Amino acid sequence: MGKWRKKIQVVILLAVFVIGGYAIGTALFGEERTGQIKPGQQPPEFKLADLEGGVHQLSDYAGQPVIVNFWGTFCPPCVKEMPEFERQYEKWKDKGLVVLAINLSEDTLTVNNFVKQFDLSYPILRDVNRKTEKQYGLRSYPTTFFVKADGSLMEAKVGGMTEEEINERVERLLQL
Amino acid sequence: MNLVDFSSDAFIAAFFLYCFAFMFYMIAIAGKKWSNRDPVKHEKRWSKIAFVVSSAGLGAHLTFFFTRWAGSGQIPTSNMYEFMTFLGMAIMIAYTIVFMIYRKPLLGMFALPLTIVIISYAAVFPQEVQPLIPALVSPWLKIHVTTAALGEAFFAVGFAAGLMYLLRVVDFTDRSKKGRRARFWVEFVLYSIVVIIGFIIAVFAFRGAGYEATFLEEKVSIDARGVESTKTETVEYTLPPIFKPFNSQDVSVQPFLGIDKPLFEAPYWMNGVNAGRKLNTVVWSIIAGTLLYGLLRLAFRKPLGAVIHPVMEGIDPEDLDEISYRAIAIGFPIFTLGALIFAMIWAEIAWGRFWGWDPKEVWALITWLFYSAYLHFRLSRGWQGLRSAWLAVIGFVIVLFTLIGVNLIIAGLHSYAGV
Amino acid sequence: MIALENTKCECGHQNAVGTVLCESCGKPLDKELQNADTPLEMRYDGVARRSQKSNPNIIDRIWNFFSSVKIAIYLIVITFLTAMLGTIYPQENTFISNSFDPSVYYEQTYGLTGKIYYMLGLTRTYESWWFIGLLVMIGTSLVICSLDRVLPLYRALNKQQIRKHLSFILRQKTVFKHKLEEDSEAWTESFGEALKKKGYKVHRDGDALLAEKNRFSRWGPYINHIGLILFLLAVLARSIPGWQVDTYISVPDGDTVQIPDTNYYLKNEKFTVEFYKEEELPEQLRGQNRAKLFETKAVLYKCVDDCADEPGAKPVLEEVKRHDIIVNDPLVYKGLKLYQFDFNLTPRLNAVHPVLVDKRTGEIYGPFHLPMKDAELVHELGPFTLKLDANYMEFAIGEDGKPTTLSREPNAPAFVFIVQGPGLAPEGEPYIYFPMLKDKERFAQDTINRELADKIEIRVDGMENVDFSEATTHLNVRVDRAVPYLWIGAVISMIGLLMGSYWQHRRIWLRVDDGELSLGAHTNKNWYGMRSDVAAALKKTGISAEPKSLDNGGNNA
Repeated sequence: MGKWRKKIQVVILLAVFVIGGYAIGTALFGEERTGQIKPGQQPPEFKLADLEGGVHQLSDYAGQPVIVNFWGTFCPPCVKEMPEFERQYEKWKDKGLVVLAINLSEDTLTVNNFVKQFDLSYPILRDVNRKTEKQYGLRSYPTTFFVKADGSLMEAKVGGMTEEEINERVERLLQL
Repeated sequence: MNLVDFSSDAFIAAFFLYCFAFMFYMIAIAGKKWSNRDPVKHEKRWSKIAFVVSSAGLGAHLTFFFTRWAGSGQIPTSNMYEFMTFLGMAIMIAYTIVFMIYRKPLLGMFALPLTIVIISYAAVFPQEVQPLIPALVSPWLKIHVTTAALGEAFFAVGFAAGLMYLLRVVDFTDRSKKGRRARFWVEFVLYSIVVIIGFIIAVFAFRGAGYEATFLEEKVSIDARGVESTKTETVEYTLPPIFKPFNSQDVSVQPFLGIDKPLFEAPYWMNGVNAGRKLNTVVWSIIAGTLLYGLLRLAFRKPLGAVIHPVMEGIDPEDLDEISYRAIAIGFPIFTLGALIFAMIWAEIAWGRFWGWDPKEVWALITWLFYSAYLHFRLSRGWQGLRSAWLAVIGFVIVLFTLIGVNLIIAGLHSYAGV
Repeated sequence: MIALENTKCECGHQNAVGTVLCESCGKPLDKELQNADTPLEMRYDGVARRSQKSNPNIIDRIWNFFSSVKIAIYLIVITFLTAMLGTIYPQENTFISNSFDPSVYYEQTYGLTGKIYYMLGLTRTYESWWFIGLLVMIGTSLVICSLDRVLPLYRALNKQQIRKHLSFILRQKTVFKHKLEEDSEAWTESFGEALKKKGYKVHRDGDALLAEKNRFSRWGPYINHIGLILFLLAVLARSIPGWQVDTYISVPDGDTVQIPDTNYYLKNEKFTVEFYKEEELPEQLRGQNRAKLFETKAVLYKCVDDCADEPGAKPVLEEVKRHDIIVNDPLVYKGLKLYQFDFNLTPRLNAVHPVLVDKRTGEIYGPFHLPMKDAELVHELGPFTLKLDANYMEFAIGEDGKPTTLSREPNAPAFVFIVQGPGLAPEGEPYIYFPMLKDKERFAQDTINRELADKIEIRVDGMENVDFSEATTHLNVRVDRAVPYLWIGAVISMIGLLMGSYWQHRRIWLRVDDGELSLGAHTNKNWYGMRSDVAAALKKTGISAEPKSLDNGGNNA
């Protein structure tokens, strides 16, 4: 030991600091086990087709506030709020609002038949094999994600919304 | 007669041989003081007899083990009954080894009743050979369970020696606060042992009388579609119900002491019929144990520790300290190997994850950490002797909780049925 | 710590500052210690363990903190106490279902205590940063404690003096004094021989003797610690991205499912479960369904083309492994492991192959393939054309009187066809078809279809024309690249543990001064064995001594 002592001490303490810091850090900042996206976090990217065959990615809308709504024909509150989303979209689209309605992996005929009944001008995207809904940690339907222009999540709202509830959130979204 | 039935007979033979060995050890130690005999010769003679008898008991026990294995086609360590009897056998093996090193018959006077209590406790649980669930089918089952039990058996011997140290060393005439506290805790340990014995007696008494009470719980649940579904769970009590399960109805309650209705209901946070049954069992154990303890106190007119203390006079406490430490030092690597390493190997093979923080796994780790703390404590001056003895006692309590408490109280992968 | 100015022993050897017993002859250096009568503290043979500085700097302070056994014990105790707390309520990681929400579950199930448990973070005890922090500190302590001790120990044991100072010998914990009748050298020789037979390495210096046995066992604890450090590092390595995966997939019979975040796909060809027969179960378990065996016939595929995660991509799959997965016997392929975890026996209708019957002519057309999802929109059957107009997975009449679906699972499927053909309106007539008999009756298919029902019928002839999955298997997908290193760490730790526990390092020093034999012995554990070794060897040279009489007091490890 002797004169090497100090050097060895420093090396070891440094190694401990780095390795230990890494260990504690991953525990501290690791993602929630439940896979729920917390406000402030970035919702995961997806790449889905719309009804005309066009492909949409979340990153296509970077810089714009985005509402991502998960819906299904079997879910009455989802169905109820779709015209509300349409009206809100009409109201705010000039301010840059984007609305994406992701269907919960139902088949083509089902989705088309449904959409025919409404006059919806925002893109209807098709999730496949429940992949995106799993990535977004969905537990019940509908779930709507309000994403800020900088790409981070403002709020994840579970359950159907009235037009007022949507409006209030859009106002907040556009201010950020 | 088939092998499994024969094995039961071998088991009963072992049980009685152990009881006789215990008596002979008591004669060897306590009888030294009897008149007209040479104490040294007396002790030597009777401890030899006792050792032969205890070894014969071990032989019968091994016979039970192997014939049951042959008769049922699977190693008898897969349910609570089988495991606890194996533990008893392992404790006898550990005791035999430690005895052959140190040749102290006094140790037999404590190790044997420990074994007897453990296998009696085992007999409380269902005894039939139960077919294995698929998760348990693997050679690693044999290896993990037997090695872990052997390690724990050495901890049990360490506990016995530690308890002996306390009974030897704690001053029953010391009136100071410290003295009283020490006496209280030693007495508490003895009381707890009496409670376990009380539990065993209560269960066998009511079982012998054929007591039975049944309760039913209906759980109504409404799923997402608004569809109602009812699940009925029944539970059978073999002890008279002081506490019936929460939210349950009586199906049939045999009268006891003229009472044919349960006295109380389990609190709301004890979910499920089995929780109620366990609470009832615990309460009965405490009642029976306290009654038994009360009777013993009345009979002896002094604390049980004070009764046993004079018997301990013939042994040097340092020897007890050494035996306790040595037993734990022998057992620790075996326990590490069996309860941790083999368990991890088996878990990796069976479930693909070597460690899942399942309560049983966590408590095995707690036991391991505790005994490694024990070993490190002994490196410091001042921690040998009395404190070491207390640690040995507490350590075994942790072992028992890992073996029994986790299974009965905490749910998880290792859950077993109970009484 | 007062620095001793003069650390030169009377035997002439210069010792480092902080030395307790002279490195050469063993004489206690401190005046107070010299005059005392207690057995000597033999830790590290009394050599200076670390340099004592008057002003430890921050590095020294941290180092000394982790080097302390007392701190190590504290860490161990705190760790197991907090581990106990984590077993009170089930941890979050025991719940796999997607609908599990910890922020409400614990309060709902356990009340206030559950809520407190959750708030304190105890629902994730073993993944929390403070528990991991404890393990990091234990790892650090392992490293620093060991380093700090093993080097001085090695130095001390490496060069040992044979002839020790009398006070060193007589203040050991096992001591024997005797007046020798015979010649001292001859006796020493025969004593040495007796010890050699017991496996001791004997070194002699005239009528002084040092016998040593099992020095290797001293390294045991350090090897054990190295093993544990390796083990902890391997555990830590699992958090490196890609080193550890633990997910679940559900695969209905016949389906092929992608393993998330990989290029692998798993197909469940058939799942079977076998239950113990009533006779095989003991009485108490009768009536319960205890599974004897459950098995998935699985095929693992790898995507070789068009694998990108694009909508409309049709991945081309190539089979790479086939295995019957049962509990304890996973499908293993290149570090990827698939374990049988659970199963579900709810059948799921996949497709039917109905026929179209023209009731007027009695002709039967078909069968045609009608899957529950993504069915073809147009079917030509003889003179008839079936256009699929709408489908409902779980048919119901909604609040508004219009048909709707209650779920996306084919629990009560219905298909609305527009039928064109002989005797029917040219633009086609609507016909609703329920593949399942129960729905056909519940919704009165023939009544809804009115006159069309008299003309045509769509039905399934025979169960061979029904394609359903009997079961769904749940598999656990695992990758764990750190595991081999774990085993290496565990084995090394075990070896160290065995070395340290089952052998003891024993040393015997003796010297004869004018016929007066002074013998002292030391061991790191098991004084009982040490004394009996000495007594047995003495007996061999004709001196009888009770092992117990050799005990010189002092606390034993």
